Amino acid sequence: MHTCPRCESKKAEVVSKSPVEGAWEVYMCPVCIFTWRSIEPETITNPEKYNRAFKVNPADIPNAENVPALPAKYIK
Amino acid sequence: MAYKDFRDFLATLEKEGQLLTINDEVKPEPDIAAATKAMSKLGAETPAMLFDNIYGYTDAKVAMNVMGSWPNHALMMSLPKNTPLKDQFFEFARRYDQFPMPVQREETAPFHEVEITENINLFDILPLFRLNQGDGGFYIDKACVISRDLDDPEHFGKQNVGIYRMQVKGKDRLGIQPVPQHDIAIHLRQAEERGENLPVVIALGNEPAITTAAATPLLYDQSEYEMAGAIQGEPYRIVKAKDSDLDIPWGAEVVLEGELLAGVREFEGPFGEFTGHYSGGRSMPVIKINRVYHRQNPIFEHLYIGMPWTETDYMIGINTSVPLYHQLKEAFPNEIEAVNAMYTHGLVAIISTKRRYGGFAKAVGMRALTTPHGLGYCKLVIVVDEDVDPFNLPQVMWALSTKMHPKHDAVIIPDLSVLTLDPGSSPSGITHKMVLDATTPVAPETRGHYSQPLDSPVNVEKWEQRLRELLR
Ligand SMILES: [Zn+2]
Repeated sequence: MHTCPRCESKKAEVVSKSPVEGAWEVYMCPVCIFTWRSIEPETITNPEKYNRAFKVNPADIPNAENVPALPAKYIK
Repeated sequence: MAYKDFRDFLATLEKEGQLLTINDEVKPEPDIAAATKAMSKLGAETPAMLFDNIYGYTDAKVAMNVMGSWPNHALMMSLPKNTPLKDQFFEFARRYDQFPMPVQREETAPFHEVEITENINLFDILPLFRLNQGDGGFYIDKACVISRDLDDPEHFGKQNVGIYRMQVKGKDRLGIQPVPQHDIAIHLRQAEERGENLPVVIALGNEPAITTAAATPLLYDQSEYEMAGAIQGEPYRIVKAKDSDLDIPWGAEVVLEGELLAGVREFEGPFGEFTGHYSGGRSMPVIKINRVYHRQNPIFEHLYIGMPWTETDYMIGINTSVPLYHQLKEAFPNEIEAVNAMYTHGLVAIISTKRRYGGFAKAVGMRALTTPHGLGYCKLVIVVDEDVDPFNLPQVMWALSTKMHPKHDAVIIPDLSVLTLDPGSSPSGITHKMVLDATTPVAPETRGHYSQPLDSPVNVEKWEQRLRELLR
């Protein structure tokens, strides 16, 4: 498990490893679906340095607008 | 005249000096996006780029900026690479009139070489990478997405081929942005009303005619395949999918078959868009991938999108201008000369026209606002005389500098519709629009001092043609 730089959930998992062994790994966060590569700049990989304007609060995710809108029968 | 497949087009670009291969090692981020954005900054005649030494990969190849310049756009239509923009516009308009061109069906395709149905992992199959720093992940944004009308499945023209942004959201999962105005959103709504998933096919790495047709604003029942045939001047080749009745571009490098999941919306984005701003943080539909095919050692074609101009603007410039030109021609067949709707997909459009009488040019500008494309774009329409080339911005600026009188020639119409991605719209999707009449006043509108326009030396046009041939 890895910490998501964007929403800081601790649930991110490895989804890919470089064909050349040990070069990099790709992680994905199941909470905000953020995806990143281990060798990206720290402004992407480090939760402390991730651009604050693009941070995601997990509490806001269920309130995101549906595009396109869902037909009524799918709305609980 | 047609390109057989994506590799055939790359080979032509290379032969014409319009493909730069980067053999030096690059990192997936930020190098590939940075190099592509930098290439766009070097002008309007830049080459495509092929990266074949990417850190961590053994044999990945990534092609960028494939149609990111006017020479490459000319070569898309098999024209000489130095064909002037206005000539490319008229040639595109001529071929657009050849629609529909029947398709050619094939049984097998090169992408059948490798097929994967188990343990699909898109992150392993495709050399994916981030484009812009605020992007929520790795995207696919130049692929053809194909779907059918469920209520009229036999109607070939209602099968849609479109280009939509897709976020890779899992090993076999993509998020997609079908904004309500897009054809695929109609298919999705049909599927969700039935409670069924919508079959889709995604084709990556195509020859450029289908990419151009897929990015052209066609009517709902017009086939992009039949338009691609018209653009390339030969029947377009397609092959059937295995899991559905969908038709696939024969020359694709990689094909993903799957289904749009009915009733599912999931957090997506943000993604740097063609407006030069991010959009996202919304919940969007999801595609589950069930089958992948690709050629041996596929080339991954990707598109950098961001602050204009980028490849997108070259890709949707002429093919947005031509439908607007045709719609204006329907209203004013003898007057409309040419239309340049290349700025941010036509948020700014320039129309050159003859005038029958005073006030006519303003009517032309107003008509542009009410065309199908104008309803979502054309926030600013500049109207110029028929002898001003709307693709030549210095000429347009000359017309604005000398022909426009702000008191008489600036018309603002309040609270019209615009695409919601317009960051200036308020509320989102509503904006004032403006027509600037930069034509020479004609009677009964007699103002200003325009009786002595400068002429050119004799035979300038002949010389222009001759010099162009000498420089070819
Ligand atoms: Zn997260």
